[in-house]
Amino acid sequence: MEKRESLWDKCLRKGISRRSFLKGCAALTAMMGLSADKMSKVVEAAEVKPLPVVVWIHGHECTGCDESFIRSASPLASDLVLSQIDLEYDHLLSAASGEPFEAHLQEVMQQYKGKYILCVEGATCTKDNGVYCMSGGHTFSHMLKEASANAAAVIAYGTCATSGGIQAAAPNPTGSSGINQFVGSTPVVNVPGCPPIPEVMTGVVMHVALFGTIPPVDGQGRPKQFFGNRLHDTCYRRPFFDAGMFAESYDDAGAKAGWCLYKLGCRGPETYCSCGNLRWHEGMSYPVQSGAACIGCTNANFWDTGSLSKRLPGYGPIDVDTIGAGLAAVTAVGVVAHGAASVVQKKKRDAAEAAEKKD
Amino acid sequence: MKEEKRKVYYLFSPFLRIFHWIMVLSIVVLFVTGLLITKPVTVVALEPTATSLSMDWVRNIHFIFAFLFCASFILRIYGFIVNKGDRLFPRVWEGHFYSETLDVALHYGLLKYRHAPFLRNPLARMSYAGLYIMVLIEILTGFAMYYMTELSNIGGMLFGWVNVVLGNEMVTHWVHHIVAWLIIVFAIGHVYMVLRADLMEAEGEASSMFSGVKFLEHVPRDANEVEPAKDAD
Repeated sequence: MEKRESLWDKCLRKGISRRSFLKGCAALTAMMGLSADKMSKVVEAAEVKPLPVVVWIHGHECTGCDESFIRSASPLASDLVLSQIDLEYDHLLSAASGEPFEAHLQEVMQQYKGKYILCVEGATCTKDNGVYCMSGGHTFSHMLKEASANAAAVIAYGTCATSGGIQAAAPNPTGSSGINQFVGSTPVVNVPGCPPIPEVMTGVVMHVALFGTIPPVDGQGRPKQFFGNRLHDTCYRRPFFDAGMFAESYDDAGAKAGWCLYKLGCRGPETYCSCGNLRWHEGMSYPVQSGAACIGCTNANFWDTGSLSKRLPGYGPIDVDTIGAGLAAVTAVGVVAHGAASVVQKKKRDAAEAAEKKD
Repeated sequence: MKEEKRKVYYLFSPFLRIFHWIMVLSIVVLFVTGLLITKPVTVVALEPTATSLSMDWVRNIHFIFAFLFCASFILRIYGFIVNKGDRLFPRVWEGHFYSETLDVALHYGLLKYRHAPFLRNPLARMSYAGLYIMVLIEILTGFAMYYMTELSNIGGMLFGWVNVVLGNEMVTHWVHHIVAWLIIVFAIGHVYMVLRADLMEAEGEASSMFSGVKFLEHVPRDANEVEPAKDAD
């Protein structure tokens, strides 16, 4: 096994100055959501840690996460793939194919056993023995189990990998689900989103690469630094919500003036992501800023929790409040009817008891 | 006027009574503000920024009353400890509970003129147990949404699991709503049953939540659960 380079080795070889290297580390620290005092750790890791070997596999999905990934601006996806990680196997980005390519995967898994990072995009499907998603003659879940067993850590990219995504939407014809149940005891970090923000994707893989462990995660296995904030609480339109200023439809004056999209079904109040602070495309915009209500794409089962343009899950024109009001109305009517019957009952009872006393 | 010999039973401690009325106020305020939060009313004004509905205020009122309601459980628990009459749970572990439930149900179904005398009848007890379960669900789902501004603080750790169990925070909203409506359904039924009891038996059902006592002609089945009765003046 040849000696693998660290980031600093690579800089030395390419004639990049120490100053530029440190600047890069500072940017990396900020991008990973770490505080400034962690920078010395980042520099240390970048000096000595060999570049991590990454195996990137794709399951039941649209590869939209990759489309997002290649648009990462800091670090540039090209920099990341070409100089900061050692991407050994990728279904989508590899030029090679066929038997030699599959053999290479086996080689990598043996050579870097317990050391490589496994990135997974897409859901697994198990219905009909998983025939709906196969590569190299094996089902995706077989490949996933094999690759994750020898991995140091697994990164689940996109809502498909974390909870099944659109494949798992009702009626879920292929029996799709997230990958978490297939990876055994290997630590997993979930990076949901449809797709996730590019900088979040690169940030998480860099964290695992530099520190060798998954970043601190919340109860759903999502990295806290990127999924710790509710969109509603970080949204720049929040003041309009607090003041009660809402767009009523997408073509009214409120929408034009950039008021809160809450009444148009914005899922911001239930969604955890970095859209509000990192935003997309070098901080240019994010859905709400572009005038579209959030659809909550980082949430598990977001396709199935009612209409994407309504505040609450509903059933056609009926929502839960309509059901509740209906129940209350039925109860009120029932109560009035029962009350009237009770008055009659009391009269009959009093008459019967009076007659009994007379006898 | 017919003379009736009645006995006075002391049931509800002041702690329970105060708790009850705090609960009534809280439920009304929480329900109205809750509906306003989900579907904010559109205020038509010449100057759109001078809206009279401030979501910030509506939300804060909702939160203040939620905390008030939770805090008032201190009274309920204290009353439960010091006063026998405050212990209202359905005694499902006693065999006669079921026959008595049937008896009361037949009377409510208008099939019997009277049911056996109770201080607190088994159906009412079950409905109160149901109410407390519903309130618990509201507290859990409510705080699960409230504390999610910071996942790693104590509130987030205590209630964050609710969203995970329900699968999606949207479902938490849904549950919070439907249970809120079920509590209103309970309230309608509860107020009606109390007024009806006063009509049928005139045992001071409604006034007991002010005075703490009920007046019964016959010895109730559950008389042994409370302090001995006194003669009415």
